[in-house]
Amino acid sequence: MIAYLLNLATLATIFGILAASLNVLIGYAGIFSIAHAVFFGLGAYAGAQLALQFIPDVLLACLAGGAISAALSLCLALPALRVRGEYFVAASLGLQMMAVTVFSEAHALTGGHGGLVGIPPATLFGADVSGPAPFLVFALAVLGLLLLAVRLLMRGSFGRALMAIRDSESAAEAFGKDVRALKTLAVALGCAMAGVAGALFAFYMAFVNVESFTLEQSILVMAMVIIGGTATLAGPLIGVLLLLLLPAGLSFLPFIPPTQIGAVQQLIYGLAMTLLMIFRPAGIAGGRR
Amino acid sequence: MLHRRSLLAATALGLASPLAAPRLARAQAGSHVIGTLFPMAGPNAEYGGIFTSGIQLAIEHITADKWLQKPIELRAQDSQGTPQGGAVGMTKLANVDRAPYVLLGFTGVSKAAAPIGTRNKVVMINGGGVGPDLAELSPYFWNVIPLVNQEVQAMLPWLQAQKLLKIALVYVDDPLGTGVLAELKNGLPGIGGQLVGSFSIPPATQQFAAIAARVRDSKPDAVYFASYGAQQSQIVKQLRDNGISQPLLTYSGGSIPSVQALPEAEGLVLSGQAADWTRDDAVTKRFVTDWRAKHNSEPTAYHQNYYNGMRLFGLLAQGLEKAGKPVDGENLREEWLRVKRFAFVGGEGVFEERGTMSMPMQINQVRGGRSQKIA
Repeated sequence: MIAYLLNLATLATIFGILAASLNVLIGYAGIFSIAHAVFFGLGAYAGAQLALQFIPDVLLACLAGGAISAALSLCLALPALRVRGEYFVAASLGLQMMAVTVFSEAHALTGGHGGLVGIPPATLFGADVSGPAPFLVFALAVLGLLLLAVRLLMRGSFGRALMAIRDSESAAEAFGKDVRALKTLAVALGCAMAGVAGALFAFYMAFVNVESFTLEQSILVMAMVIIGGTATLAGPLIGVLLLLLLPAGLSFLPFIPPTQIGAVQQLIYGLAMTLLMIFRPAGIAGGRR
Repeated sequence: MLHRRSLLAATALGLASPLAAPRLARAQAGSHVIGTLFPMAGPNAEYGGIFTSGIQLAIEHITADKWLQKPIELRAQDSQGTPQGGAVGMTKLANVDRAPYVLLGFTGVSKAAAPIGTRNKVVMINGGGVGPDLAELSPYFWNVIPLVNQEVQAMLPWLQAQKLLKIALVYVDDPLGTGVLAELKNGLPGIGGQLVGSFSIPPATQQFAAIAARVRDSKPDAVYFASYGAQQSQIVKQLRDNGISQPLLTYSGGSIPSVQALPEAEGLVLSGQAADWTRDDAVTKRFVTDWRAKHNSEPTAYHQNYYNGMRLFGLLAQGLEKAGKPVDGENLREEWLRVKRFAFVGGEGVFEERGTMSMPMQINQVRGGRSQKIA
């Protein structure tokens, strides 16, 4: 049981980083991207390749994953600078679809649909941290550091400027804010964090393929942020706990027959989500509206 | 009047209370816990239902024959058909349910679950995926289904006999498709044939008119397609609609009802492990008779495979119980390595150490919406 709980906690931590990264885009910058799984995937492939080809150091993998995702975030930043609202959603959908095709076809880098298998156990400065408990501690430390960084940034002038852009881009521009630079930075920060989460995910799963970086994954992460509460530090984490742990918890229901387990889980899960959105439209941590 | 907050709290409490139940963490000491890790909701839920029904019939037979001293308890986890779902489900089955034997399907799920199962010494049985990359996944990962390269090898002599020597291939660009491509490339010259064209398609594509035109230009004697799921129906239909009149060939993935029911699939030739329901051996006869009586329909290869997967557990556990050894993953593997040959539905299954199984193979043809053995 302990191993199972550690497993859930580790996945929740990794998805906590991912949801917090999307919160920078959606919650603070007002950029509704549905291509976030792309950057999660880029980080995962970068981390996995680093481990397979060079060294399985999880810290280096996180840095590599973050750097590559940040560098390629320009693909998202460019449309974000030109279009807003539903137009940007459509643009990010295009990016998501294109990336899935690239992930599927770039066999040398991603292993195609077969994915990358046999990712070696994680080390940190030569020490083995692949066990469930050490890996969870490392992942929690990364989450803590990133949340602290987000908190500091969002409470400073960068965060206030981002929120001003979110609330009214024209007004922020009229007040002399460099909207293009701020949006690009916000996208780079959010995508870099997603890349870090991806690298951790690759090590934890020891296998990555395109099925983990699809549109469904992007929508799941967006749901985590919205249900938890946007523009709050705790909201995405609450969303992760709810969306990841609720299905796991439902699998313990003793009265569900084996052949119906998926359908009953989906029904209960859907009902709970609907109730939450009726009674807490701003998300659980988002206060009443 | 029910207050909103009370309603929300009651819902949360209702969902949380089973979590606190003491039952959850323990496998019953008095039973053999068997895990299943299939997609049980969403677009692939049909497969989960099909796989599970084969297992359930095998459990009924094992129980009726009193093979084991303890009853079998089935614990299902919904893999959602994704690697992540597979990893979470496998961790629960291995660490919470303490299942020493888990039946699973889908390549991504299998690959994500394999390291977890191996670490916990849980035997994992695949009866659905046929990609060649499922061989040697782990010492604890066994396939009770011949992989696709074995299927292609079985079809080559038939192609030679039918003088279908120029083959065009339409394949999904994944380990399954590339496995078929490699086998045809290597195998066709050996029978005096050649691969006159190979056309890769992404797994989600549904439009094949352009591919059909290119296939037609390659002037093949027959067209082999290697795909899976609903895409297969579209390939068959659109190839025929676009004027491909040559015989169509595929592997056992084409045995699903949605493909066979298509009028355009008439004449489709497909390989697969021996699934001759008229066989006279006792195991096959009983499986077919009881399946028909219970479900009022014909069994498919997937039912057969997962029945065999569950039957394999019964045979191994019976041997261990007789020897007075505990039925755990390590001992199951030891017994499996010792025996290696098992009487299965469809004939004798012979395992290799790399986790693959060879079985009698047959060539089928779709006639009147049903597969019939032709060789």
